[in-house]
Amino acid sequence: MKNTIKVQRATRDLTQEALAKQIGVSRQTINSIEKNRYVPSTVLALKISKVFDKSVNEIFELEEED
Amino acid sequence: MKKIQQDLTLLPEMFKKVAFGIMVLSGLLVLLSILKVIAIDKEIIASIAQSVFLISLLMLVITRDKIEDELTMRIRLKAFAASFIYGVTIVIVEPLIHFLFGDSFLTGKGAIELLISMFLFYFIIKYIMKKSR
Repeated sequence: MKNTIKVQRATRDLTQEALAKQIGVSRQTINSIEKNRYVPSTVLALKISKVFDKSVNEIFELEEED
Repeated sequence: MKKIQQDLTLLPEMFKKVAFGIMVLSGLLVLLSILKVIAIDKEIIASIAQSVFLISLLMLVITRDKIEDELTMRIRLKAFAASFIYGVTIVIVEPLIHFLFGDSFLTGKGAIELLISMFLFYFIIKYIMKKSR
């Protein structure tokens, strides 16, 4: 599953640390999600989408192998 | 949102200090025994110290990290699984090593030694996984 968190962060000038703080996870977790090493839970995906004011589908997208 | 799927219930972070305190206590117990300050049989002291050490390791395992989120919980569960597999592997492989190389190659492990090695394996796996996340 790919995501656009890095792009969304860049457009809002938000650091990984700041985003992590807003949704209550560690910076490393945000880094892992951005690098597609970790697929977040639905709750976390919804929290991320809320921060960026976008739908989950706009941030997370399924790939062919998913 | 009300959580239906409960995560592992862990002790508060302050229990890490308690665990390290208990660990020091077990070392102190052995030291006092070696220095003959305590006049109790060495085997009894060793047995008590091992149990106390085991309790401190268990406490460390079930205590929250500074930042606890769903990724750290996943790492924790993976490390639990890895240490369980390690424990089972040791129990299966050890008699085979005894059979192939004789008793001098590896001394038989008791339950406490096995559990301590499983805990140490857990900490190593958790550390590696946290570093590479």
